[in-house]
Amino acid sequence: MKTLSFIEDIGRRSPRFDAPDKARGKEKFASDLYPENLLWAGALRAGIPHGEIRSIIVDRALSMAGVHAVLTRKDVPGPNRQGFVYWDMPVLCGKKVRHAGDAVALVIAETREILAKALESIQVDISPLPVVDSIDAALSDQAPKVHDLTTGNLLKAATITKGDPAVLATCDILLEEYFSTPVQEHAYLETENGVARLDKEGILHLIVSTQAPFRDRLEIARALGLDPGKIHITAPYLGGGFGGKDGATVQCLLALAALHAKGRPVKMWWDREESMVAGYKRHAARMHYCLGAKKDGELVALKCEIDYDTGAYAHLGVEIMALGLEHAAGPYRIPNMEAKGRCIYTNNPIAGAFRGFGVAQVSFAFEGMMDRLALKLNMDPLALRRKNALIRGDKNCADITMTHSTGMAECLLRLADHYLWTDRGKWVAAAPRFKRRGVGISAVFNGMGYGHGLPDYAVAKVRLTQSGTIRVYNGVSDMGQGNASTFVQMAVEILCQDRENMELVQPDTDRTHPSGSSSAGRTTYTYGNALIKACTALRDKLCNRAALMLLMDDARGFAMVPGAVRHLATGKEISLAALAAIMHPEDRLCVADHLMVTTPEMPQGGEAFSLGFPHLIYPFAAHLARVEVDELTGGVCVKDYLAFTDGGRVLNPQTFEQQVQGAVAQGIGYALCEAVQTTQSLISTRDLSTYILPTSLDLPDIQSHCVETIEHSGPFGMKGIGEVGLNGPLPAIGSALIHAGLPMNRAPFTPERILAALQGQADKKKEPPCR
Amino acid sequence: MKVHLPESLDALWDLLDQHPQAGIMAGGTDLLVSLRAGKQHLPTVICLERLAPLQTIEPLDQTLRIGAGVTLTRILENSLVHTHLPLLHKSVASLGSPLVRNMATLGGNICTASPAGDTLPALYVLGAKLSLASAKGRRILPLESFIQGPGKTALAKGEILDSVIIPFPAGFGVQHFEKLGQRNALAISVVSFAALIRTQDNLVQRARFAWGSVGPTIVRSPQAEKALEGNPLSLEALLRVADLARAAVEPITDVRASADYRRRVAGNMVLRLAAL
Ligand SMILES: Cc1cc2nc3c(=O)[nH]c(=O)nc-3n(C[C@H](O)[C@H](O)[C@H](O)COP(=O)(O)OP(=O)(O)OC[C@H]3O[C@@H](n4cnc5c(N)ncnc54)[C@H](O)[C@@H]3O)c2cc1C
Repeated sequence: MKTLSFIEDIGRRSPRFDAPDKARGKEKFASDLYPENLLWAGALRAGIPHGEIRSIIVDRALSMAGVHAVLTRKDVPGPNRQGFVYWDMPVLCGKKVRHAGDAVALVIAETREILAKALESIQVDISPLPVVDSIDAALSDQAPKVHDLTTGNLLKAATITKGDPAVLATCDILLEEYFSTPVQEHAYLETENGVARLDKEGILHLIVSTQAPFRDRLEIARALGLDPGKIHITAPYLGGGFGGKDGATVQCLLALAALHAKGRPVKMWWDREESMVAGYKRHAARMHYCLGAKKDGELVALKCEIDYDTGAYAHLGVEIMALGLEHAAGPYRIPNMEAKGRCIYTNNPIAGAFRGFGVAQVSFAFEGMMDRLALKLNMDPLALRRKNALIRGDKNCADITMTHSTGMAECLLRLADHYLWTDRGKWVAAAPRFKRRGVGISAVFNGMGYGHGLPDYAVAKVRLTQSGTIRVYNGVSDMGQGNASTFVQMAVEILCQDRENMELVQPDTDRTHPSGSSSAGRTTYTYGNALIKACTALRDKLCNRAALMLLMDDARGFAMVPGAVRHLATGKEISLAALAAIMHPEDRLCVADHLMVTTPEMPQGGEAFSLGFPHLIYPFAAHLARVEVDELTGGVCVKDYLAFTDGGRVLNPQTFEQQVQGAVAQGIGYALCEAVQTTQSLISTRDLSTYILPTSLDLPDIQSHCVETIEHSGPFGMKGIGEVGLNGPLPAIGSALIHAGLPMNRAPFTPERILAALQGQADKKKEPPCR
Repeated sequence: MKVHLPESLDALWDLLDQHPQAGIMAGGTDLLVSLRAGKQHLPTVICLERLAPLQTIEPLDQTLRIGAGVTLTRILENSLVHTHLPLLHKSVASLGSPLVRNMATLGGNICTASPAGDTLPALYVLGAKLSLASAKGRRILPLESFIQGPGKTALAKGEILDSVIIPFPAGFGVQHFEKLGQRNALAISVVSFAALIRTQDNLVQRARFAWGSVGPTIVRSPQAEKALEGNPLSLEALLRVADLARAAVEPITDVRASADYRRRVAGNMVLRLAAL
């Protein structure tokens, strides 16, 4: 008997399975790989946001010693198109560039230094076209088209309707506001990278920092006209993803380079500046909200118009807009809504998936409306939210019945009891000289899973190895959120094993099964559900095989214990190694799948979205921020932060807390300082000295509490909380500011904007009234 | 690129003589950033880190002489700095991050001559003098005449900054430094402000102010200083000073902030003195 060992089962605050190897530097990220004999590949970026390519002269680069190939559009074997749904993004641009980060040539060289020189030596002649640098520019009548759409630069427009939005005009209280949110950068530590090699059998092997290895295989195959069966992708742990590695980054370029590398491995690794110019970002949004309510605070109707700037390519812009509309009125009971959305092409950097997927933007708007309503009614802002909070059986603003776990009201209730809320009056009054204090709250939600129309499934695989260990084959990337570790924890729970007896394989298109992307708060949920089935099947099988060996009639009365299967009545045991020795390798394996449930309901107008709309299950959160504003500089400091999160049952309090802490930190950055700035669609915040991420000195202590509901459809009762935490900080801080007399409609809340607000220079434009 | 690590001043003078195009590197936290960005190309770099005479902190007659190669972390840990130069201490503590301060030197911050250099406002109001050394000998220059513009100094070819001589500000009861960056660490100043104030019977007897990041070099305003003298540190008196400060600064607009904002804050920061 080992004395200190314990089973790290479900519910336990256990350290991550991968923590020791990561702490020791033993775990290899894609960027750590330097295979022998490698070549470097790099893309030449257009540098011009909109233009027609006249010529690309590569002779000088080609003649340089150590340069193996210089590729342009004509060297791309397939249709040269990538992108999830719209396939609008070239691997290498041939005729036209649509944003400054477009790739126009690909160089393969012996070293990184030669690569840089060769890229510099290429002469690209692009005749500039007028730049579509904003939503307004894109929608103007004379706007040049970024793509050849009959709808101009309008990629998609849709309206979803619930009830009779016309009642808005007859409401006791009618409020109207405009809000806007900035472009946010994912800014992961590990920038986009991978290595690729074409082997003698013609199989293309890629090891990539990616959230979606299985989809990548299809993307590469389609873009380059290859057989997906001949593409093998491995996804090691990622040094951050947040949505930015969901979709092709280096994949197609790397694959193309490998095709021209004569079997040598090729590495591509964007530096920070390239990641900034070529990587995906969060959509900037502008929102026009009209909210109607009764005198007692009951919400009656919302009309809103939400525009998303998707930049040069669609990526998941339409799906992101769909989520914005779905969440447009917040986690509240509101009988009437009309939400109009537009997703618009510009020449700005490409916007794509990002934690909080379209919802982070509207959270600022709907919570901003709630605070304004509370002020208007002279009502406690928390009471107002509690009065309207969704409960089981309600229909949400997208007309979906809340049939699953719904902890919104409970989150608010817990927050109402917390000293950071109850003591707020005293705290605000104690503001030092030249400081102004405010306490704000927010109530947020975020649909989880892919949603209707995009089957959300996973296939889990678990094996008893020859040596008697249990190996989990994780099929969904772990970008740092800890899903892989939780999978081990689930297997440990069901199979009753020590961690020392567990092994873990990371996603690999040869060894693990397609299980979708690491995204949408679905990762642990969907794969976990499949894994429970696989582990249960393996447990039953092992008990059964043990019964055979111990000459028992059947497997009743057997249980798994660490390292063995035991017959409880007699105490007889057979070790897993002994069992493994007699079982056929194929018999030591269990595979099971899971398909997430979706809602059969569809709001009016929702048919416009064929993929991922609407959702059935939502995690909820209530946040609180205590904010201090410097009246002399406009600086905003978040002094205390509090988050109550309903993620169903908590499988590992530590991982849960890490998700909340990370999301809140990223959300505070979104609220206070993060903004990709562009001038004529060229990025002026080109690196991390001008794109401002919060540091540890900019973040308060963040208290995280779980509000445990039970999500019956989820593995052990959980639902995914990776995203919801990001949606809270911007509205909570905005709420604190408005209650300190500083209504802010534009994020981030930079000192300059705050100082202007302090001096009464509202940053609101006057626009037409609600129709 | 060739890198030399001389271990004596004589070896340094020889190297400087042989490689007139060489760059000088102390902590490298400015130089290496500019090299990576391709803003300069250097065939040769000569490092100062092994030169013992640049590494000392010594008191002398109500002054402190800090070797140009002393790292900012060592300055923060030095008890004489802590006791006698709290203003310098505060400004150094606001610079970069612990990692940056472990490498960065005081000499480097001065020779970079950035209008945003965070030790500069403090060193200006403290009346720091610089000791410049070369094969030919030494000369002493007030900091204000050493810095000539953004990135421009009075350093001659073959010359280095060897130490910084800082008088203890005797009798100055108020030693105030404030930095506003876009965040609380690893931030380039948007506006910074240093003040030394001596009072008697609650009236200001002498005031010295300096602002960073609001002009091509550190901005002083004798008018603003004079305007406060003879007055109490009241909001009323400071409001007048703030106006003079706004008139004295010449800020620019960049990706961090607008000129207008910087001007307003340069004045507002003066008001903070009322809250001390
Ligand atoms: C991440 C980061 C954050 C930063 N944050 C701040 C900040 O908050 N505030 C701030 O003011 N600065 C900041 N800096 C800039 C920099 O750290 C400081 O200016 C630092 O003091 C420079 O010192 P160094 O020893 O590294 O200089 P180096 O980079 O070695 O040298 C800088 C310049 O001075 C010259 N030089 C250095 N020493 C001498 C000498 N003794 N004689 C002659 N010439 C010399 C060099 O030739 C070079 O031109 C930051 C830099 C980084 C990378």
